[in-house]
Amino acid sequence: MPQTETDSPEFLTKLRNGDRAAFGQLVKTHHNMLLATARSMLSPADAEEAVQDAWIAAHRAIGKFEGRSQLRTWLTRIVINQARMMLRKSGREIQFDPTDQQDALAYRFRDDGHWQQPPQQWELGGPDALLTREELRRCMEKHLARMPDNQRLVLELRDLQGMEFDAICNMLDVSASNVRVLLHRARARLFELVDHFQETGEC
Amino acid sequence: MLKCKHAVEKADALVDGTPLGRTERLALYFHLLICHHCRRYLRQLRALLGVLPRQQDALDDGRTRAILDKLDPPQQH
Repeated sequence: MPQTETDSPEFLTKLRNGDRAAFGQLVKTHHNMLLATARSMLSPADAEEAVQDAWIAAHRAIGKFEGRSQLRTWLTRIVINQARMMLRKSGREIQFDPTDQQDALAYRFRDDGHWQQPPQQWELGGPDALLTREELRRCMEKHLARMPDNQRLVLELRDLQGMEFDAICNMLDVSASNVRVLLHRARARLFELVDHFQETGEC
Repeated sequence: MLKCKHAVEKADALVDGTPLGRTERLALYFHLLICHHCRRYLRQLRALLGVLPRQQDALDDGRTRAILDKLDPPQQH
């Protein structure tokens, strides 16, 4: 995970001393990323509320932040706890046991484990490169919204935000093997969708 | 011999930089050497993960202020 300027010792001292401008800088830098994390667990409106509440909690606790983890990890953990509390209030929770979910690519292998339907050749270069097309981007966003919450959250933390596996396992209280399976399923879904788009031009 | 299905599962370790055991690593590299479908899978998966829609913009000043305004007032001692 890249270090951000909000992790320098001078900045941390200001934060701990209640410097409002420093806390504003923290909000500015991290808010949208934290909102993306909350949105992978909650509706957009609930996500806004969860992150606002997380800022209030972080502001109260910042004096005790010991700097053993990065601020971003610390803040993400607060947001996830806040979001889980909101889910519990409405009688829901996110399960991190992946056993009941299918691998989106499983049907493309023969019984002997070799490809039956191998991947299409994607147009990766050129002015009309597949992955830069606006329709594909919209299609991915649609699929991300429909993905099971547990897969989307793990994908968000690892592949979109670049968090370390250890940090993810700790903040979700999930085993490394479950995180890896969920991440694999999420990636397989996206791969399948792009491959389908390459073949048919449709979402 | 490593099957494609398992190579695709293990490809995540290459993407993530997760250390593999020596035998596993050799089996995977050997498989990729001879299987162009799995090579294509790995190459395209990497490209795909590189373009996922990330949310890393800074928050604008107005919305930052709105959040700060809802925090507890500073403690007076």
